[in-house]
Amino acid sequence: MKHWYCASIVFALVVVVSNPHAASAQNSQPPAARSGAYAPARTADGQPKIEGIWNPVGTFYNIQDLEFQARFQNFRDDPTRRGKSLIIDPPDGKIPYQPWALAKSNEVLQHHEDPTPQYLDPNARCFMQGVPRHLNNREFEIFQPPGYVVIFNMAHHTYRSIPLNGGPHIPDRIKLWMGDSRGRWEGNQLVVDVTNNNDQPWFDVVGSFHSDAMRVTERFVPINADTIEYTSVITDPKVYTRPWTFKVTFNRNKDYGSELYEEACFENNAPSLELMLTRPGR
Amino acid sequence: MQTRLIRIVFLVTAIAAFARPVAGQTLPRTADGKPDLSGIWQAVNTANWNVLSHNAEKDVPAGLGVVEGDEIPYQPAAAAKQKENFANRATADPESKCYLPGVPRIMYMPYPFQIFQTPTHIAMTFEYVHAVRRIFMNTPHPDGELEWFMGDSRGRWEGDTLVVDVKDFTGMTWFDRSGNFHSESLHVVERYTPTGANNINYEVTIEDPTVFTRPWKMSMPLYRRVDKGMRILENECYAFGLEHTWLRPPQ
Repeated sequence: MKHWYCASIVFALVVVVSNPHAASAQNSQPPAARSGAYAPARTADGQPKIEGIWNPVGTFYNIQDLEFQARFQNFRDDPTRRGKSLIIDPPDGKIPYQPWALAKSNEVLQHHEDPTPQYLDPNARCFMQGVPRHLNNREFEIFQPPGYVVIFNMAHHTYRSIPLNGGPHIPDRIKLWMGDSRGRWEGNQLVVDVTNNNDQPWFDVVGSFHSDAMRVTERFVPINADTIEYTSVITDPKVYTRPWTFKVTFNRNKDYGSELYEEACFENNAPSLELMLTRPGR
Repeated sequence: MQTRLIRIVFLVTAIAAFARPVAGQTLPRTADGKPDLSGIWQAVNTANWNVLSHNAEKDVPAGLGVVEGDEIPYQPAAAAKQKENFANRATADPESKCYLPGVPRIMYMPYPFQIFQTPTHIAMTFEYVHAVRRIFMNTPHPDGELEWFMGDSRGRWEGDTLVVDVKDFTGMTWFDRSGNFHSESLHVVERYTPTGANNINYEVTIEDPTVFTRPWKMSMPLYRRVDKGMRILENECYAFGLEHTWLRPPQ
């Protein structure tokens, strides 16, 4: 009998993600390299080449409080993977919620360990993770065909294509899980403006959220052949009091060769989720 | 050895490409001389309802069918299974559960898809349930007993035709809403032949010795979506109707 490749069941349901290879490559680049001196090779159409499979350093359980998430995730006692927050602005590392929104977020935090359906992370249901969370989850691949940067996640087979042709965003009425991305290269930095986001994905397991007014401005900065520093500035006047900045480092993943596998998350998870959500007491 | 073979194949196909232009048409080509298939495409037919010819019904458009000879060579037990599938199609069709539709069904579902092309790798991204196909060129299928909804695709050029060999499927996908089905032994060979800048002839050979008595073929055109500002949107089938079941900001 053939057997199934359904690692996604474990990943999506229990949300316990440990990422051992991400830690090893944390580098100590000299300041010159960090300021953009690294010049990647070029693709056939002249883009700085950042192709390959990458892993975020840092995980998505609670983006505001990594010590908190250490209680739930196996960090293999590696201190380089800890920190207070993935939010570098405001300086306190907290999402600048409006008061009503902070109350909503806290409500999820309090219930997330044994969630009734409304407190279950949409990611656990195999829905697409949204921006920026699909980059702060597990391995993903950057592919650069002419005129585009395309990102493929193994988890949930999420993809996002980023056209570089300077075209306008789609009509505002259209809302998408992955938003509408428009990118450009500024020197060796990829800058992407993401609009048309819907209000359904969360930033993490404990209910950090945004509305459909969210706009994200991302910067992918390659600082050496195996490291990209990523920041996104997140604006959403319906939910926050000011813009805030999320930062995570991507390290090259050399474990998969050049090919990701298929993870048919929903197809494999649907029966387990059904059970979880309908068991007595739910 | 393999590199040398690939090089020879490349030379031969490069010559073939120049020797055999499609009559009266200039095909867009990539830097390496291959037809450039990149762009947004869609089949315009009724194969997703029934790959065979069929009459109209309520919410079902009539169609001439896409199967060569208009007949699927089922083995007797499989023919009975297809009838059972048809009777139970409202709930038994994997599309009704929002599953990844498999190959070739994803190619003729009534949603657009995008092709991205480089010499070593062709990617297809689909609007329907954000399905993805990765076609690695001139490489072997992986070892191991894989069962993937979308199969494992390996491509090569034969002149101006992209040939894709697909195997390692699950037995959990169908060909259409009429119960036409296969097992996990399915082997698909697709041939994409551009017949102009905005048309591809898509021909697919279906082989499954546990279900059919012989290989059989489907063919259909794929059309470029030339709509202004065209992009792939989303059709997250399995999220519809569930939006109220997790916490979202008030509208």
